[in-house]
Amino acid sequence: MSLVSGPGRGMTAMPAEMQLYVDRHVRYIQSLDTRKDELEYWLTEHLRLNGLYWGLTALHLLGHPDALAREGVLAFVFSCLHEDGGFGAAPGHDAHMLYTVSGVQILATLDAFDELEERMKGGRQKIGQYIANLQDPDTGTFAGDEWGEQDTRFLYGALNALSLMGLLHLVDIEKAVQHIQSCANFDGAYGTSPGAESHSGQVFTCVAALTIAGRLDLVNQEKLGAWLSERQLKNGGLNGRPEKKEDVCYSWWVMSSMAMLNKLHWIDGEKLTKFILQCQDPELGGLADRPGDMVDVFHTVFGIAGLSLLKYPGLVEVDPVYCMPRAVTRRCLGK
Amino acid sequence: MASHGITRGPGTAARSEEARQKELQQITAYKDLMDLVNTKLAERQYTIEVLGLATKLLNENPEYYTIWNHRRRVLLALFSATPSEEAPAQSSEELVQGDLLLTFALLRKFPKCYWIWNHRNWVLREAESILGADAAHQLWLGELQLVNKMHQADSRNFHAWSYRRFVVAQLERLATSAHATTSGSLVESEFNYTTKMIKTNLSNFSAWHNRGKLIPRLLGEGNADSKTRRALLDAELALICEAINTDPFDQSIWFYHQYLISTLSPSCPPEDLIVSDLNNGERQKYYEHEMEYIKEILDDEADCKWIYEALLYLAEAYLEVEGGTKAFTTKDMQSWLDELKRLDPLRKGRWEDLGRRLDL
Repeated sequence: MSLVSGPGRGMTAMPAEMQLYVDRHVRYIQSLDTRKDELEYWLTEHLRLNGLYWGLTALHLLGHPDALAREGVLAFVFSCLHEDGGFGAAPGHDAHMLYTVSGVQILATLDAFDELEERMKGGRQKIGQYIANLQDPDTGTFAGDEWGEQDTRFLYGALNALSLMGLLHLVDIEKAVQHIQSCANFDGAYGTSPGAESHSGQVFTCVAALTIAGRLDLVNQEKLGAWLSERQLKNGGLNGRPEKKEDVCYSWWVMSSMAMLNKLHWIDGEKLTKFILQCQDPELGGLADRPGDMVDVFHTVFGIAGLSLLKYPGLVEVDPVYCMPRAVTRRCLGK
Repeated sequence: MASHGITRGPGTAARSEEARQKELQQITAYKDLMDLVNTKLAERQYTIEVLGLATKLLNENPEYYTIWNHRRRVLLALFSATPSEEAPAQSSEELVQGDLLLTFALLRKFPKCYWIWNHRNWVLREAESILGADAAHQLWLGELQLVNKMHQADSRNFHAWSYRRFVVAQLERLATSAHATTSGSLVESEFNYTTKMIKTNLSNFSAWHNRGKLIPRLLGEGNADSKTRRALLDAELALICEAINTDPFDQSIWFYHQYLISTLSPSCPPEDLIVSDLNNGERQKYYEHEMEYIKEILDDEADCKWIYEALLYLAEAYLEVEGGTKAFTTKDMQSWLDELKRLDPLRKGRWEDLGRRLDL
């Protein structure tokens, strides 16, 4: 682990309210796996692999990619991999799209697809097939697992992971695109399924999936951009739907979508930066949903990724489509 | 790991030794239960006893999705089990009722947990194949009451709204297959449900959204003629204008207003049209009427940015059908844009882009 304080060192010159506590966030993330004397640690086992993706990505964006030992991370990821190519949340947990995507994202970030092949012959192909089998041949959308729940989150996850592995040809992209279109609403935004209310999280999944499919031309960019810009509230924070409260995680869902539409300038970046920074725990590190609330690694990564989109000085550039370092997605996608 | 709205405390380092010991005991008890359930499931002990243990574990942690999966495997085995002396079987109906009670209690406590909603949905779909269509119809009817209760607690819960649409689709499907001659459509009562929800709280965008989704069905299924369609459009505009007058600062209302206006446009896709035979003269009248009404509100609410935004989108729609107009001038549009820039500096970049797009 790197003991040198990387990017962020120069930040001490910033006014207190604009300060990002890089070292404390790094220590907070490193501490997450040592909290076995807290009940919460055990009650959140079903999020372990997602948590690792969130923590690792936050560390990469903070400029501390080596703060978690690579070997340990990979050993855990492989311990979640099932014979059929799906990943569970932790050893002993069933395979599901949500964890499979996190597993692939971690392998991509750590450039570890060769190690995957060493662990499981044809592993990449197997994972791709696990994902492809979850596509509904009639509607083009994806289920989360064998039990059949469908949601645009899973469709996005499938396209995300498959594109990182160069395996998009395993699924029917055209059908998936049609399904996304059927989830569009009169406000220009998207829901979980046809008929469902627009929600910023689902907007991210749909716009990102369309970006991967090369079909952003189908988005009503003027209307959706307007709807997204109205997520910003007076205090600078963003909400997920009309007339709801602000929350740091929407800094990611809303802003990443705006970045993909080239409309980031439609909100006030400085005010949002201040809001995100107020959500830090200045002593123990980590970010919360709102100022003064309890931190968690989910809000930590999406707050930091939001700051990266806002070009906060010293942070590594994030890819708005994948929520991963841009350098990583460039390497995987060959562009 | 994703906590919302919980105030930050002093952190676990500040726990008293007593509190620490208590938490360690809780962890041991939880892990013991987890190990017990997982061991029995690994041995495929698909029994009533294991189902009870799974219930206990899910009550402590309803996010434990793998246990929900196992629960379904146990239930499937029990549905088809033959009763024996050592293991008196519970009827499938009792099992279904048991899981409906469990998920109801859990949803009241964890209304946003996807896995609970999913499991309930699965139980009801299974119930149909086990108990038959009539019993299933009764069960789905009961689900509307569940949604009502969930909406009383949180009228924006999008899980409950999605579930409601699913329940309605099941009821319509079952009614149609039972009585091939009647349509079984619930579109009218669902439309009325949104009216009720809106009247309770104008700011309920979930209800406005659903209303907008129901309108094309309402008109299509009723084979509505031109007169009926116009009447519906006028009624909707009257309803939304009343809402605007009540709270012009509420964005839910303006999104619905914009939706209604968008259906007037000649470039509106045919399937979204409310009135299908409007001519440009009628369109202009609608636009003018809305502009006049909205301008009147300005007298009391000169600092409401939504009014200026609406005036600009009405003006743009107007210009789409008629270039030369006396209803407003370019100077008016310029002044509305200036007000937007003044009142809404957060979205300054958007208003600048709008000015360029409208050539102002």
